[in-house]
Formats: sequence, C-alpha cells, structure tokens
Amino acid sequence: MEVTRKALAAGIDPSTVIEQGIAKGLKIVGKKFEDGELFLMHLVAAAEPSQKAIKELIEPEIKKRKGERKSAGKVVLGTVAGDIHDIGKNIVGAMLIAAGFDVIDIGKDVPAEEFVKKAKEVNAQVVGASALLSTSLPVQAEIVKAFKKANMRDKVKLVFGGAPCTTEWVKEIGGDGYAESAVEGVNVIKQLVGIK
Amino acid sequence: MMVGRSTKGISLNIVSKEDAGSIHVAALEILEKTGMDCTPKIAEVFRKAGADIENNGKRAKIPQHLVEEALRKAPKTILFGGRNPKNDVVLEDGRIYFGMGGTPTPYIRDLQTGEFRRPGKQDMVECTRLGDGLPNIKFLMTLAGAFDVPYEVEYLHEFEVLFNNTEKPILFSVPGGDASRRVLEMASTIVGGMDALRKRPIFGLYSETMSPLSFTEANENMMEFSKARVPIALGPMPMTGSTAPVTVAGCSLIGTSENLAAITLVQLVNPGAPVIYAGWGTHMDPVTTRCAYGAPEFTLGTDAVNAAMAHYYGLPCYGFGGCSDSKFPDAQAGAEVMMNAMVAALSGVNLIHDCGYLAGGSVGSMEMAVVANEIAGMVLRIARGVEVNDETLAVDTIHEVGPGGHFLSHKHTLKWVRDAFMPQLFDRTSEVTWAKAGRKQIYEVARERAKKILKEHTPEPLPKDVQQKISNIVKEAEKELVKT
Repeated sequence: MEVTRKALAAGIDPSTVIEQGIAKGLKIVGKKFEDGELFLMHLVAAAEPSQKAIKELIEPEIKKRKGERKSAGKVVLGTVAGDIHDIGKNIVGAMLIAAGFDVIDIGKDVPAEEFVKKAKEVNAQVVGASALLSTSLPVQAEIVKAFKKANMRDKVKLVFGGAPCTTEWVKEIGGDGYAESAVEGVNVIKQLVGIK
Repeated sequence: MMVGRSTKGISLNIVSKEDAGSIHVAALEILEKTGMDCTPKIAEVFRKAGADIENNGKRAKIPQHLVEEALRKAPKTILFGGRNPKNDVVLEDGRIYFGMGGTPTPYIRDLQTGEFRRPGKQDMVECTRLGDGLPNIKFLMTLAGAFDVPYEVEYLHEFEVLFNNTEKPILFSVPGGDASRRVLEMASTIVGGMDALRKRPIFGLYSETMSPLSFTEANENMMEFSKARVPIALGPMPMTGSTAPVTVAGCSLIGTSENLAAITLVQLVNPGAPVIYAGWGTHMDPVTTRCAYGAPEFTLGTDAVNAAMAHYYGLPCYGFGGCSDSKFPDAQAGAEVMMNAMVAALSGVNLIHDCGYLAGGSVGSMEMAVVANEIAGMVLRIARGVEVNDETLAVDTIHEVGPGGHFLSHKHTLKWVRDAFMPQLFDRTSEVTWAKAGRKQIYEVARERAKKILKEHTPEPLPKDVQQKISNIVKEAEKELVKT
C-alpha cells in the first residue's frame, strides 16, 4: 500500500503502477508457484495486498482520469445461496488476482439473481460459483437459468466448482467450465477468455 | 446377547498427556475469548446458559466452566448398535472399529469398467451390501451418494438405503432440524419407538461444524439428536494453512475448540446425551490446494492428536483410516491406507472411517474397501500385540523338542497356529504359483472379491411393512420439500 501510495504521489501513471509494479511482482510469484518454489499461501499473501492497493488506491485514480483499468479479464466470484463455505472460492479469487484478473468477490450465500446483477453491472467476462454441499450444488443450475432468463448467457462464461461438483454436472447444467482445483480453475478461466 | 468389545489399540502415544493438557487449555481460551459463530437457535442455547452473545447475536463467547461441565456430563462409554444386535459394539477406552466410507463421494470407481462416474441410489445399495459383507468393517457410511434423486431429499433416500441394506451400525449425516426429525422417525419405526431407539441406538449422526469456529444451520441437527439421545459423532474439518493455522497443532486446536463447543451445545440441550469426540485437524496440500487424506499430517491431526485429546477427556472418539489421495487402488493407496489405519488404531481411535476413499474423498472404490478390509485385519493383529506368558513362551515345549527337532506337529503348535493373521486377500504364494494363476494384481483380486460378496451376501431385509413405512416417510418428505 505504502509503495503504491508513493508511486502515485510521484505522478506515475496508475496503469503503469499496475503493469510495471504490481502485475510484474505477481507474475514472479506466480512463476515460482508453478515451479513449486512457493506455495499457495505465498500466492494469497501476495494477491491480497495487491488487490487492496488496486481497488483502494489505483482504481479511484484511474476513474478520476476517466480511464479504464486493463486486466486479464473481469471475473465475478461467489458461493451459492444456501452455502457459506467460502474458502475454496477465496483461494480461486486470490489465484486469479495473481494471474492478473480483476476479481469481484460477491461473498457467500449469494442468490442466482445476484450473480446476474453483478455481472451486468461490472460487465464481467466470467462468472464463477462455488458450492460445497451436495444440497446446494443444484443452485449452480439456477445460475445458468438466471443468465438465460436475463438474455446474458452468451455474454459471460459460467464456471463452477466445489467438492460435489464434477465435469459431467457442469455439462449437464449447461455451464462453460469446471475445475477440480484452484490451480486448474485459473487455467480453465484463462482458456475461456482466450489467454493461453 | 453379548455386545462386541474389540481389541484396544492404545499404545503409540505420539502426543503426550502433557501436550493434550496444553491443547485443552488453549481451546478453552479460544472459546471464551474469541468464541464461535452461531445460528440464532444455537446462540440462544448458549445465551440461556450464561454465555455472552456478541456481533448482533451471532457470536457466542463460551465460558470455561460451561465447557468443563459439559465434558463431565458426556458419557464415557457408548453403545453403538446395529439393526441386528449381534453387530452391536461398545465405544470406549481405545477399542477400535473400522468403518466403510464416509459422506457421499461425488464419484464412484465403477466396479466393471474402472471408470469414474457419478453415482446413484443403486450404487449406494451395492456399497452398503458390500460393507455389510466385509468382516473387518464394523460400521457403515458410504462410498457413493444417491445423486439421482431430488437433492432436497437426498439424505433421506440415503438413509433409506442404509437402513435397508445393512444390519451393522450406521454413521451418517443429515443436515438441519427438519430432516433430522424425519430420519429419527425412520429409525424409530425400525426399532419400535423412540424409547427403544434411545436404549439401543441403531445409528449415529455425523455432524461437521464449519471451520474456523462456526456453527451452521446444518448443525441444528445436533439439537434434535441430543433430545433423542441418539449418538452424535462430531467432525470439524479445519485445513492447515487455509481454515486453520498451518501447523498440525494449531490446526488441531481449531478442531478441538469446535468440538468442545459442540459437546457443550449437545450437553446443554440434553445433559448426558451421547457424543463421540472428533477434534480433527486436516491437511491442505499447499500446491494442489486439495485436502490431502493420505498426508502424514492429516493422520497426525485427525488421529494422533484427536485420540490423545479424547483419551484426555475420557470420551469415545472418531477418526480416519483406510483413505488415500491416489486415484487408483495401487501402491500409493496401499501405503497411505496402511499408514493412517495403523496410526488411528495404535492411537486408540474408536471409530476409524473412510475405508475405500480414493482421490482425497472424491472417489469411492469398492475394490479399495476390500483392500482396506484386509489391511484392517493386519492392523488389528498388530494392535493386539505380543502376548508373553508361560503358555506363549512354551518353555516346556522347547525342552521337549530339543535341538534338531521340529515343532510342526506338536500339540502346542496345533493349538496356537490359528492365532496368526491369515490373509483373506493378499497373496503370499510363490512367484511360480502367482504367474500360473494369471499374474493378477491385488486390485483385480479385490474386484473379483467385491463382485463375489455382492452376489452371495444378502443382509437380512427389513420386514415388508417396515420397508413400506420408511419408504412412505421419504415419499411424504418428497411431496412437502421438492420444488418442481
């Protein structure tokens, strides 16, 4: 936070602060994670303050200049209604931030309509919904339906995860992507938005 | 009829009594200073007992004396019954029992093709019947979920399968108060009333708090089971470095704290209600981010620390064994299963569950359950230890045979030869015999064995009218609860 504040005060363009500062650092951490040198915890520890600096310091600055933040893509994440288990979702969020995505976390116990509303509001490319209980898993199907109802289905990619979730299930409900772990999740989302 | 009193497995002492004392004091501090998040119903129980409720009625700060009182009230020995009383077991003092499976797994490894697929109710019928037929499996959970029924009533369908297809004790989850009442009604129908169920419970509830330090609506099931005095097995699953500190001790401390809070809740609702201790700390692999059932730390947290705490409190306990992160019933699976089954047994965990879990609880495998049953047999033998006395030392026999003789046909040999563990699955034949017999790997032998048991073993069915009544309870719930 302090370094970001200093950089902005020194008149450095906010986009440059992200690209040459934060994103660069995260890339190094991400690479070391892939190489097995760093663990998930290190990645989260790097992603959380980065997100905070971007959201609280850099984005307001960009807005002031009427610019738009460049990112790998906008992802709305939440844990579905009827479920308050959110550690998986939080991990995926941190890993996406580390991979350069703009992550909008809408929390836990989130109804299907809220996913649609937020996706529309922020113009998201990807929406991810997590469920841990087999009894809350069916809410993922409701999310797909809600996007269809709002005529938004072709505008966003819908990805799903959580312990009871499977590839077959996501296919059955008409989703776009599934991953059995956070690491795979980031790869799936990268593919969906066209980053190799 | 005599109830089962199995081998006692306590002997490892990985965690000392002094360390258990330190963990206990730390847990008391956590519950009193930071507390547990609760649902309004659960918070009300703690409030009435004198706990401070903060954060808009959400957070209960539980005073030490409430916890200590609850620990005194919780029974130290619990009868865990099966539908057939010949399968009843006593949970106490380090006696060990292995159980098949756990909560519903999203995949089953197909017994014919070996492929992973989404299981349905019929798969659960088969798993249950297999577990009923495996001799070292003493209680039943599952290796498959009934995912082809409406999700609102999934747990009721699963209980219907369990009640119909095993005569052994059952341990299973049912979330929330409403579904709990329906399941208790099913069980009471089988044994002839709630009073009979209290006296000889034929199943227990498995209820997981949410880590870190939260009760959810699902946990209101504890209140119903406490009132009914049907055993409740707890099971928090904090993971190292994500929902708990990254150390085994810190992670287990979260599990211990949640457990003590749950025991306090259960005893406040109904003093003396049976509760089975499970202060787990599980392990998150920091690279794959998955919960690693085959990790040594997983076993240390869920078995070694857990059992040490349960013994410190003098309560029966519930832990893990027979589970693996491997995707196949292979060498990795065998090694991990032997490790956690052995540590659980030698730590004196009473209920050792998850036999047959692969891929860190994502895949249920009947072949692996058959292998785990064999491993359980070996572990039980080790736990029994070496008996040293005049009879087993056989000094007179040695004098009698003398140098150069043999013991083959001596009556001492004939008397004791059956004391050894005899493999029922694993192969000790020569390489020549093995090659001639088709070079079968053990998972293939296990697969054949599973098929044979499914073909030949049929548990005594419930009387027709009882089957009908249970089915009606499920149908009624379906009518009321299933949204179209």
